[in-house]
Amino acid sequence: MAVYKRSYKGYAGAYTPEWSRFRVLTRYASRGLFKSKFLTGFFVICLFPFLVTALLIYLNHNGTVLAMLKFGKNVINIDNAFFSRYLQTQIGFAFLLTAFVGPGLISPDLGNNALVLYFCRPFSRTEYVAGKLLVLVKLLSYITWVPGLILFAIESSLSGWSWMISNLYIAVAIVLSSLMMIAVLSLLALALSAWVKWKPVAGALVLGVLFLGTGFGAAVNGIMRTSEGFLFSIPTLIEIVTHALFRQAPLTDLSPLQAFVALLLIAGGCLYLLSRKIKAYEVVR
Amino acid sequence: MNGGNQIVFENVSKFYGDVLGVNRVSVSIPSGITSLVGPNGSGKTTLMNLMTGLLQPTRGRIEVLGIAPNDPERLFRELGYCTQFDSFPKGLTGYEFVYSYLRVYGCLHKEADDLAWRAIERVNLVDAAKRKIAGYSKGMRQRIKLAQAICHGPTVLVLDEPLNGLDPLARAETIALFRTLAADGMHVIISSHILHEVDAISDQVILLSNGYVIAEGKIHGVRSEMQEHPMQILIRCNKPSEVASQIFQKDYVVEAQIHRDGRGLLVRTKDADKFYLMLNQIAMNGVGIESVAPADDDVNSLYEYLIGPEESK
Repeated sequence: MAVYKRSYKGYAGAYTPEWSRFRVLTRYASRGLFKSKFLTGFFVICLFPFLVTALLIYLNHNGTVLAMLKFGKNVINIDNAFFSRYLQTQIGFAFLLTAFVGPGLISPDLGNNALVLYFCRPFSRTEYVAGKLLVLVKLLSYITWVPGLILFAIESSLSGWSWMISNLYIAVAIVLSSLMMIAVLSLLALALSAWVKWKPVAGALVLGVLFLGTGFGAAVNGIMRTSEGFLFSIPTLIEIVTHALFRQAPLTDLSPLQAFVALLLIAGGCLYLLSRKIKAYEVVR
Repeated sequence: MNGGNQIVFENVSKFYGDVLGVNRVSVSIPSGITSLVGPNGSGKTTLMNLMTGLLQPTRGRIEVLGIAPNDPERLFRELGYCTQFDSFPKGLTGYEFVYSYLRVYGCLHKEADDLAWRAIERVNLVDAAKRKIAGYSKGMRQRIKLAQAICHGPTVLVLDEPLNGLDPLARAETIALFRTLAADGMHVIISSHILHEVDAISDQVILLSNGYVIAEGKIHGVRSEMQEHPMQILIRCNKPSEVASQIFQKDYVVEAQIHRDGRGLLVRTKDADKFYLMLNQIAMNGVGIESVAPADDDVNSLYEYLIGPEESK
């Protein structure tokens, strides 16, 4: 009988806190993203509206320049509608960015059977999804609420304290609308990425769900003479809730609460799909 | 359950819906090299996934060195796993592959860097460490997978088909590494189809068929318990006919066959211990016996007797 004596020692050093380990995935995935020149270029384009809007806000308060251009002071009305329009533009870019980035997050791991590598470490399925989700959350935040708040701060600094206090709800609307949109889009992209292993197909599917859903909803509305077709259109649902948060007039007969509940259900459905697919082993019966 | 230094399965079953994975498995695995042997679909990978906590048992209890597999924070400090699939995230170099999973593991940069290089050195891949895994040969891929499994210094190493695709030299090196790890006190659990290698490296085997454990323990112990299959013993001697005539008088000798070269005989006996005692007497009576060796005391024979030659093909 062989007698074995343990003569080596395992790693006994410090560990990073459990809660922070999912960020390793985010770091690696984010680093890989900007290796694509196309994506880097598109990300820069996504920031153009911010630069243009910042310039407009600045010019709007610059009497000298306005006089040179023969405009009166405060030619642009910088209010809730102004910020809402800006955010809608950015949400449009966010859809495209999600379609480019989202499918590459999970499908390669599934395609390479690499999920087991994560789960044979002290690393849970929730942490895996959180790590991948954070990639999109960070990326979409950089083009939505972060620049949105910077614009709000610029306008506040130029218009004064009283403007900021009376329009504080705009800042809240920028953050809430953006986070809601980011959560729904990110979960949708991850869920589709988990179910479709082929990256280009997953990307097309993200755009398909977003835009074909809108077309289908419009068709339902036209045929059935109803507004409930908008429930199939994620962009419209987001727009309805965003309008309400910016205290703008309703877009459709569908109430913001109905739209919000529909978005919650979509997010819940995506989480369910992820929970079905993100497993160490796929059991084929 | 007292499995402080062992991997213990207690009446464990796993069903995938109606499909049986493993059923009523009760085994204790001590340190050393343990091989899981069985045909495809016999439950080897299921057993490995159960002990690594990647699958939850439908019934029964499992402990790995006293740790329940549903406690990943403790379990994976002690356990390293190497899958049978080529599980490589796209675009990583060998070093990045080992390093990045050490970071997921919770190691800080400096420690992860040290441990990664140490593991890569141990599997002899230092020169190729900065190359992309996509350009690795099958053998190099197996070795880098092994490096990520041993990099954090686990006590239990679970390796699913680790010898697959390795050329003879790489296989010999890998087997030598397993032996070193086992000699260091590690539990090395291997599943393999390459029976003669399993035989050469294993301290104990677990034979599986259709989700059931049909034999477990040290190979020689398992073989001696198989009374329905008489043990085959090859005797090399100068007077095989004389030996045959003497041994045929004993009821525990089932068959004796003179070797084709006329310099030995193959005996089948129901009681090997009595047979060896008798052989001593024969030797003392002047028969020159060169060697005595069991002919079917190996994993290959166990596999054939217990699982069947059809499935072993």
